[in-house]
Amino acid sequence: MFFHIILERNMQLHPRHFGARLREKLVSKLIKDVEGTCSGRHGFVVAIMGIEHVGKGLIRDGTGFVTFPVKYKCVVFRPFKGEILEAVVTMVNKMGFFAEAGPVQIFVSNHLIPDDMEFQSADTPNYTTSDGSVKIQKDTEVRLKIIGTRVDATEIFCIGTIKDDFLGVISDPSAAV
Amino acid sequence: MSGEEEENAAELKLGEDFVKAKCLMNGEVSLILDRRLEQLQQLSEDPLNQMPQVFEKSLQYVKRFSRYNNPDAVRQVREILSRHQLAEFELVVLGNLCPETVEEAIAMVPSLKDKGRGLDDEAIEKMLTDLALIKSSSSSGHLLKKLGFGLASL
Repeated sequence: MFFHIILERNMQLHPRHFGARLREKLVSKLIKDVEGTCSGRHGFVVAIMGIEHVGKGLIRDGTGFVTFPVKYKCVVFRPFKGEILEAVVTMVNKMGFFAEAGPVQIFVSNHLIPDDMEFQSADTPNYTTSDGSVKIQKDTEVRLKIIGTRVDATEIFCIGTIKDDFLGVISDPSAAV
Repeated sequence: MSGEEEENAAELKLGEDFVKAKCLMNGEVSLILDRRLEQLQQLSEDPLNQMPQVFEKSLQYVKRFSRYNNPDAVRQVREILSRHQLAEFELVVLGNLCPETVEEAIAMVPSLKDKGRGLDDEAIEKMLTDLALIKSSSSSGHLLKKLGFGLASL
């Protein structure tokens, strides 16, 4: 889910930027440093909305650089275990399928796809029910539940399931009933 | 991070970092990112090219999945849902997924049925009907099939 959240970061600034445009420089550096990054704790930083507060700068011994604690408002995307969301299928293989919800990748293993759906290795690999009424292939929109997240320093991966009530292909009316 | 292991959206446990955060519906994010893009457009020719991939992917995602496209509808959805003493997280899940039946709503947001919230099936039903009304009356051409759903359910 997307959140509007206040985060804090210590920004180091070279003394040559000290002057009337110091704040401006802090903002542009913040945007450059932070937008598009991902941390396991706060998720993906999608866009910075503004500066909340700039604290007092502290000169660092030996370098002349000054560290400013900056509080800023931003939009982040952070997936949670137990969350139900919609995603677009990006790749299908016999192990399961990958889907994307905004910046995050979600893997749904074939154990977590309903048992009545079989893998078909056609030109476009897909999972299809025996009567052919429901099909999952690249670009299908699915509703899934996140059951686990794996976090490393710069990336979040999710494991999802569509084996539950009201989950699965969205655009198909029979799946919505 | 001690909260990490207990994290579970179905029980509304989001960890301490997100307690104060405001949840955003896809439609709201779409408005915010669009405005951001407009600002950048004044500075350069091809702003999307300069934005990180995370921005581009998020924008595509919210455009594809937001049920409501005009700012008024987005505002109405939040207004209607906020009459029902929902947690922020619940409100946004409902606003994003637009369940059509009470069972579906409870499957999407299990915490609706938690201890003594005074939300009986009837109240949930009422909430969903109100939501469906906005969905079908928001007159933008995006994703006709979803509009179709809204009309069918009336």
